Amino acid sequence: MYYPEPISKLVDSFTKLPGIGPKTAVRLAFFVLNMKEDDVLDFAKNLANAKRELTHCSVCGHITDKDPCRICEDQERDGTVICVVQDPKDVIAMEKMKDYQGKYHVLHGAISPMDGIGPEDINVPSLIERLKDEEVEELILATNPNVEGEATAMYISRLVKPSGIKISRIAHGLPVGGDLEYADEVTLSKALEGRRDL
Amino acid sequence: MYIEEIQLTNYRNYDHFSVSFDQSINVIIGENAQGKTNMMEAIYVLAFTKSHRTPRDKELIKWDREYGKIEGRVFRRNQSFPLEVVFSNKGKKAKFNHVEQKRLSEYIGAINVVMFAPEDLNLVKGSPQERRKFIDMEIGQTQPIYIYHLGQYQRILKERNALLKDLQRSQEPDPTMLRVYTDQLVEHASILLERRFIFLQKLRKWAQPIHEGISRGHETLNIDYDASVNVSEDMDSEKIRLELQNHFERFESKEIERGTTLVGPHRDDLLFYVNGKNVQTFGSQGQQRTTALSLKLAEIELIYEEVGEYPILLLDDVLSELDDYRQSHLLNTIQGKVQTFVTTTSVDGIDHETISKAEIFTVHNGQLTEER
Repeated sequence: MYYPEPISKLVDSFTKLPGIGPKTAVRLAFFVLNMKEDDVLDFAKNLANAKRELTHCSVCGHITDKDPCRICEDQERDGTVICVVQDPKDVIAMEKMKDYQGKYHVLHGAISPMDGIGPEDINVPSLIERLKDEEVEELILATNPNVEGEATAMYISRLVKPSGIKISRIAHGLPVGGDLEYADEVTLSKALEGRRDL
Repeated sequence: MYIEEIQLTNYRNYDHFSVSFDQSINVIIGENAQGKTNMMEAIYVLAFTKSHRTPRDKELIKWDREYGKIEGRVFRRNQSFPLEVVFSNKGKKAKFNHVEQKRLSEYIGAINVVMFAPEDLNLVKGSPQERRKFIDMEIGQTQPIYIYHLGQYQRILKERNALLKDLQRSQEPDPTMLRVYTDQLVEHASILLERRFIFLQKLRKWAQPIHEGISRGHETLNIDYDASVNVSEDMDSEKIRLELQNHFERFESKEIERGTTLVGPHRDDLLFYVNGKNVQTFGSQGQQRTTALSLKLAEIELIYEEVGEYPILLLDDVLSELDDYRQSHLLNTIQGKVQTFVTTTSVDGIDHETISKAEIFTVHNGQLTEER
């Protein structure tokens, strides 16, 4: 290596982040060298704390600093509806909408035998347990509209159907504010498939 | 439709190069290894964003260059559109009318191309995979949504096969997840099959009279779909779906035992018959070549029927391989309506008024020059 060891170690650490290649890592490492010491210490502390203090909620699997998480504890929210998502980031996206008043269940992934991920490797068993214990009336399956997400949704629906809980799948099709003429054929045909009565 | 001009940058053995083409016949003459087929391939890539010769896009970039680019202008529906396909180590980008098309299925179909090359004899005597590729490519050219369903199908198939392998090894296999994949597989498979059947009926309609013409009325061509499941062309997609569903239910334990998906559009084949005999196994070399030629010429008419314009025809090193009668039959069919690119080592022996009126280019070491 051409760099003194502390820098090359820092560069190595940055390369572990997603979307950061060797060049960007070097740029970030040298930027850190020019930062104020307080800022650097703060940065390091925040990094460590985020990892140390955040855990996954034992009820819904969302990231949280206290267990159960704020959403699960919130008495104002409707506990009879659970929205199932793949990722904690999906919860944040849903929350930004400020329109959904139910609770969540985070799977942390989707079923994919090709990648060796089965139902037990994601939070499916905990969802099934939860449905036994809590008074749930509706399950909204909001996994991604690709092969893995679709298969995961269909799998959960097969497991839960016999219990009589209402199961719905989020719609996919045209983006709001978009023009019909600019939609691609696949999206259009999906939108047509999911049309509803007026 | 026709290609007005093409521009190659760092593509195969072309450094930087642009050329305008004639609306009807363009003959490219050159010794071996000078870049004739590369030129044909470039037009093919501009249509499909991938080569007919290699699955590795990297090979299209000139040696030791960072990127390779093909630009062209196509004239269709009374307008001229720019097209662009760029390859680099970051992948490829395709632009239609200056706008990048994120999905392959949105770009393909911008130009329709039919290629006839010596290796197309494999369409008749090669493996079933070649014939499946033929159907999929041809339907995809005119129906982008077919490419989407095919992609989904292949993805689900991979997941399903991986799961079947797991179940094969397990003591008490739980079929719940398998049934999810079966449902998804059946959904796409029935759409693929229905579209393949419709395509086949059209192909037959065009290929039969063409074949009869080329063989001077001596031969009758028939094409059958050899399905791995008990489905037939008279079924609609709902019936096909039910049949597939039943089949998968009945053979579930067998599939687990074998650890793979045993039937479906990925296992199907086409059968060609001449005068009632299977050409693939019993046909002469000449009959096989006539069959391949009939299919390609039928494709031209089929695309015209679907798109409303004739596609571009690429004849790579095949004209000299045909006898005089087939040669002139071919040239008569395309005369005046299909923009055609012909490569050959020399025009001697190709005696036809179409060729004498054609635009002639010579290619030497990655440089193309217009002769007249």
